[in-house]
Amino acid sequence: METLAAGTARRDASPVPSDKGLAKAAEDAVVLRVSDVHKAFGDLKVLNGISFDLRRGDVMSVIGASGSGKSTLLRCINQLDPPTAGEIYLNGVPFGFRVDASGKRTPDSLSNINRLRQDVGMVFQQFNLWPHMSVLRNITEAPVRVRKMAKAEARELAEQLLAKVNLLDKRDEYPARLSGGQQQRVAIARALAMNPKVMMFDEATSSLDPELTGEVLDVMRGLGEEGMTMLVVTHEMGFAREASNRVMFIHEGRVEEDGPPEQVFDNPKSERCRAFLSKSYR
Amino acid sequence: MDVWRSIILKNLNLFAEGLWVTTQICVIAFCVACALGLGACLVRLYVRPLRLPATIYIEFCRNTPIYVQLLWVNYVWPDLFGWPQSFFAAGWMALALQSSGYLAETFRAGIEGVDRGHLQAAHSLGMSPFLTFRSIILPQALLNMAPSIMNQFLVLVKSSTLVSVIAVPDLMYQAMRLTAIWFQPIEILSFTAFLYILIVFCLSHAFKLYADRLRGRYGLAMA
Amino acid sequence: MESFKEAVDISLFWEYRSLLLGGLAFNFYTWISALVLVHVMGFSMCMMRLSRVGACRAVGTAYAELFRNTPEYILLTWVHFVLPLLLSVLLQTRLNFPPFLSAVLALGLAYSGYMVETYRSGIQAVPKGHIEAGRALGMSSIDITFRIVLPQAIRNVLPEMLNQMVSLFKATTLVSLIAVPDLLYNVVIVTQEEMRPLPLYTWAAIVYCVIIFTASTLVRWLTERWRSRGWA
Repeated sequence: METLAAGTARRDASPVPSDKGLAKAAEDAVVLRVSDVHKAFGDLKVLNGISFDLRRGDVMSVIGASGSGKSTLLRCINQLDPPTAGEIYLNGVPFGFRVDASGKRTPDSLSNINRLRQDVGMVFQQFNLWPHMSVLRNITEAPVRVRKMAKAEARELAEQLLAKVNLLDKRDEYPARLSGGQQQRVAIARALAMNPKVMMFDEATSSLDPELTGEVLDVMRGLGEEGMTMLVVTHEMGFAREASNRVMFIHEGRVEEDGPPEQVFDNPKSERCRAFLSKSYR
Repeated sequence: MDVWRSIILKNLNLFAEGLWVTTQICVIAFCVACALGLGACLVRLYVRPLRLPATIYIEFCRNTPIYVQLLWVNYVWPDLFGWPQSFFAAGWMALALQSSGYLAETFRAGIEGVDRGHLQAAHSLGMSPFLTFRSIILPQALLNMAPSIMNQFLVLVKSSTLVSVIAVPDLMYQAMRLTAIWFQPIEILSFTAFLYILIVFCLSHAFKLYADRLRGRYGLAMA
Repeated sequence: MESFKEAVDISLFWEYRSLLLGGLAFNFYTWISALVLVHVMGFSMCMMRLSRVGACRAVGTAYAELFRNTPEYILLTWVHFVLPLLLSVLLQTRLNFPPFLSAVLALGLAYSGYMVETYRSGIQAVPKGHIEAGRALGMSSIDITFRIVLPQAIRNVLPEMLNQMVSLFKATTLVSLIAVPDLLYNVVIVTQEEMRPLPLYTWAAIVYCVIIFTASTLVRWLTERWRSRGWA
């Protein structure tokens, strides 16, 4: 069975016109560009200029102490907490702001923001499944109401995704009857149903019992292997090292370290990163 | 026992008529109260410039005794607004006014009680504010507030006895009239009290059962 | 517009102020007296309800269910018109209740039904471990009830209790129905003389609203203060 994420990756990887240079091709592959993003809550500065590019198929783990701004970064990217300054581009399209003819930037309309949000899947620490809807409806609600997909089609899609996260037998249950790990897998399926270009995970396993984190991490790992572009805020150093191709270490709202896992884990340049890792690996 | 046979059994049809009027007035008043309450609550929460008037409306409805409101609507509104022209309409309007204040606060508590994370999940999927409200906030608020909403209906049924004062021929009115005609208050009023207690008791237990079953269906803890 | 001006014209209300506001005193008398009954009956019936003896429990439960499910108005008429007759038959004398007594009895009974449940929820919210800790220290059950359970229970339900007291004040307007000369009763009387219902009823509504709004705002404010101190 051709899975959804893999399908997306293939469709998007349309042949680059031959007259364009390699640099342009690399540019095209940037799915998410975060450029000098700042975020302050009142006087409290949480993000102090974060920049990075996420290319198609990248799985990037974001690590750092609690309070370092990892979660805020994700929430800034899909405009749940709009950044105070800086720019975010999704497939080259400005996300959350608009540039008019004179070059002035204004906040974008909510309907435009919502259109772009559909392409960014988000999985929350607290799952946030809607308790009054069955598992199946949790997944079909957004495709049907937002994407205007036909109900039967959405149902089929939801069942495919549930099969993928191994929960097809729970499709008519209500979330409150599922374990935390099962709820989180449903939440992943819900995000995938919108056929996103990027998936963001906000400490997706932090509120799970240790014996339940494995099943969720397995699903995430599988997604990465299928070529899904992912941005993963996590405390699971094992996942960051083995399942991601890039690791970013954030400290006090700044990127301290950004590179392949081997480099960040075995050979960190930053003193703070070394201190953080030695504490995490004790 | 004579009184029982000669008055109550003979006039059962009057009691039944009264009960029918009580039912009508309660159902109409409750529907109107839900509409007014939801409207007032939404305005208070989401329409910034009209927040103060909505708050004043809600507080006035909640903090004025129902009997005072009844007389006020009945004697003052026709001159003030040209409506209501019948005692029946004045009756349900006053009951609705009172309940709408309480229901508005109930709805507000329900809406504000919805987990913020559920809303963020909806936003992150690109749902519009209206869609989020309709398919995430409102159903959850109603589910969580079901016991309070149903309880408000019981309060309304109990208050509905007062409409007899402005000559709406409800159950209480029929009882008072029969008492005035036959002067046998012991049997007539006791029987009427028994009817009311039975109705409210059965309704409250049926509602509780229903609310528990509703929450149980979604795997939520009992209220 | 004319009728609106008439409705908010306070001069008539002001002319009869001593009569009308004197009536307000009856609202307060009824309220205070009924409150005593509410708490006495509410507390003792709650103790019955939580008793270990099955019969006591049944009485307490029946009491709470009965008065919670009875409309106040029918209870009022029943206590005023039926109860004296029943007692007359029982005691073989002619008995009549003055309206004020009936009013206090009826409202007191009606709201004590709620108070049983309020006390109960407060008491049951006290963690079992606290009682066991008391037992482990060898305290008597009376000491445990009055020194450990009740002080905590009352803190738990004080806001709810105060809200019910405000509701009771709202209900005191019903006493005019059995001719206790409260504010509303006097408004009806004056209306019959002056034939100007608009300002009288409107101002009666405003006066009650202001009093009850002030009281419930005070309750809300106190509740928040207690909560912020971790008290209630």
